[in-house]
Amino acid sequence: MNDMAVATAPKGSEVLLAPWWAKIVEITPEAEGVSTFWMEFTDKSVRDKYRFAPGQFNMVYLPGYGEAAISISSHPEKPEIIGHTIRFVGNVTHAISRLTRGTNLGLRGPFGTPWPINDYKGKDIVIAAGGIGLAPLRPAIYHILDHRTDYGNVSIIYGARTPADMLYPREYDAWRAKDAEVMVTVDRADSAWTGQVGVVPILFYRFRLQAERTVLLTCGPEIMMRFVVFEGLARRIPEERIFLSMERNMKCGQGFCGHCQLGPYFICKEGPVFNFKQLAGFFNVENF
Amino acid sequence: MPEIKLHLGSQVAIRKPEFDRLLDNLVKAGYQTVGPRIQGVAVVYAPIENLKDLPKGFISVQEAGQYQLKPSGNERYFDFTPGAQSWKQFLFPPRSELFAMMKENGHWREELIHQDVPRYAFIGVRPCELAAIEVQDRVFMRPDYTDPIYQKRRENTFILVIDCLHPGGTCFCASMGTGPTAKRGFDLKLTELDEVFLLEVGSEAGLNAMQDLSVESLALKWQEDATASLALAVQSMGRALPDVESIPTLLLKHLDHPQWNDVGARCLSCTNCTLVCPTCFCWDVEDVTTLDGANSRRIRLWDSCFNPAFSSQAGGNIRPNTTSRYRQWLTHKMGSWVQQFGVSGCVGCGRCITWCPAGIDITEEIKAIRVEAKE
Amino acid sequence: MSNEQTLINILESIPWFQQLSQDHLNLLASFSHLVEVPQGKDLFKEGESEDFLYIVINGRVSIEIIAPGRGRISIYTAEPMDVVGWSSVTPVVRQRTASARAVLDSRLIAMDAVFLRQLCEGDCALGCIVMRRIANVVAQRLLMTRLQLLDLFANPGEQVTHA
Repeated sequence: MNDMAVATAPKGSEVLLAPWWAKIVEITPEAEGVSTFWMEFTDKSVRDKYRFAPGQFNMVYLPGYGEAAISISSHPEKPEIIGHTIRFVGNVTHAISRLTRGTNLGLRGPFGTPWPINDYKGKDIVIAAGGIGLAPLRPAIYHILDHRTDYGNVSIIYGARTPADMLYPREYDAWRAKDAEVMVTVDRADSAWTGQVGVVPILFYRFRLQAERTVLLTCGPEIMMRFVVFEGLARRIPEERIFLSMERNMKCGQGFCGHCQLGPYFICKEGPVFNFKQLAGFFNVENF
Repeated sequence: MPEIKLHLGSQVAIRKPEFDRLLDNLVKAGYQTVGPRIQGVAVVYAPIENLKDLPKGFISVQEAGQYQLKPSGNERYFDFTPGAQSWKQFLFPPRSELFAMMKENGHWREELIHQDVPRYAFIGVRPCELAAIEVQDRVFMRPDYTDPIYQKRRENTFILVIDCLHPGGTCFCASMGTGPTAKRGFDLKLTELDEVFLLEVGSEAGLNAMQDLSVESLALKWQEDATASLALAVQSMGRALPDVESIPTLLLKHLDHPQWNDVGARCLSCTNCTLVCPTCFCWDVEDVTTLDGANSRRIRLWDSCFNPAFSSQAGGNIRPNTTSRYRQWLTHKMGSWVQQFGVSGCVGCGRCITWCPAGIDITEEIKAIRVEAKE
Repeated sequence: MSNEQTLINILESIPWFQQLSQDHLNLLASFSHLVEVPQGKDLFKEGESEDFLYIVINGRVSIEIIAPGRGRISIYTAEPMDVVGWSSVTPVVRQRTASARAVLDSRLIAMDAVFLRQLCEGDCALGCIVMRRIANVVAQRLLMTRLQLLDLFANPGEQVTHA
């Protein structure tokens, strides 16, 4: 996938961390404190070359504030306009939240390993997402559902804090129409909510999977992923067919600033998508 | 005396005053000559012009948390072992301005910052330091990505290595297989004896630097003296780290070892070890902005895994205490580095031991973990 | 088909009871009945005495606690084959600690908790099977409650950090 890394300083470039400019063409509010920023490279030659795979991320740069690693959440076959679903949590993302349509931002990318969905054609896919973790999985969902006959059963299970915090709720019916089972749950709700209440792993008790033909993709807070992995392993999905997208403080995106290390891995380079076998030795080590 | 024809691999001797001519040749070839000199009470690496600038007649006494220059009682220039600084500061500068951003009509425009890259000639690189440069080459000049700042400096650098005949109290390069002599990777290699410098030509650039020098062929006595001194150096090294190949597995299999808490309680998290380490490469980047927000400069700075902010992200710190940060440093340096870059991140230079204000000795920490592992 | 036969058929279909003998199923059926709860109606309320153990057949039942000023807070929703009111089988019978409300039209099996407890005490083999199942339910609920307690999806930028 590294041959797709076009929108970053190429080898031998004069300037480290130099971004390409991209204009915000649309902002879609998704939930309280979360919006999707749709961006288009201002340089046509970059726009024409830029490709990404589901699960990869860009470094989004706002001069004066710095960069944030943001997963790409839009359709991988429509790379002209790139969607970044951003939750406003830190300095950079809070500053981005105040931007309006037409503003230019810097972009470098795409970086990182993709969801290995092309390696598992014919398999059943279980996608388990929590909170903002649905964003990096949405390109994979689009790809799988647009190539629906390449896959067996597709189950999407998603949990959010409250009904109002759910990402992309208007799309679930479209996913169901493409023969995906979509189940959602929330941690807390008032009596107006008729959906499920409970944390994401509970949804594993709500459907049947055939471990020998299942691939599990999960993204969400690390604790949530730990228990999703736990439920997956309990149902005998093998470690090497459970994939997680990890998050760490990232600065360079190319595996040489050192910040995002987890054991032998630079999460920006060897990750963010790992199979559980790679992580098993480090996942439960406190403060590692 | 028959004229000596120099070629790659030639080994010859020069009288010590001839060294100034060598430095002159390098300057004429466009190099900035940088080497050891005494500043205050320590040896630093700074521009040098001739032999007089070198710390003649000194040794450095080094122990855990201790460094002191003392008269050696002889007239040699390279008997000391290096101080806190390494060559890292020249190839991977502690602070680099990357580019500037100017706001015009509501849009940002980047402005390149022109920087002249010096052509350095490193004079007096220790074999362990050469090994450290080669370690950083693997970090910054990977097949898939190259750091332009490092690469531009590195490609133009001239390296004069010096055999380390008087290792210090915190040295353990022999254990790490990086010293006390260098086999390759240099333009010139020098061995200092009482009367002469022995020189070995390692590259075309080295050959050119030898132009017009008055050289002599190696006397047997000098060769024997050099060989004996190197053998003695291996024996007189202050520290040792046995069974180096087993260390990565040892550390990564004992992430819950009580020794981490023990050392975590002694470590001050001061970052000294990472700053003096010739291979530590972690960096941070920040924007420095004018008050009106219209101009911003992007700066790269050395960072350290001992800084709390290093592992912080929105909502918390992945490594919230000194124990976890020390463990990260040591398991990376001597463990996961091997998987990442194919070599250990430690070259055995001993700086992290000498310059630790708490006197923490990585060779002792590893031994402590190994003792329990065997029980 | 008699009501009782319908009940036995439903009981047989519940994974919970698949290890039970025909005699045991007949016994269970003798003190069970079907309950239909329309959407929005309560199955039971916090504070009532615990008289039945329920298993959801269809629909969705929300376990709720009433918080003054905040209304009904849903803690958990029970889906088909899920148990509601498990504490009615524990030895110390208390009052209902939460309300149960059908958020969708729901059908449940209700088992008389007094009979069920007596049966378990008199027939330890059956008692063991029932209590193991109850223990599983409790363990799963406890784990989910812990995760809820962690408030996993809160915006970390809004949390107090202890870095």
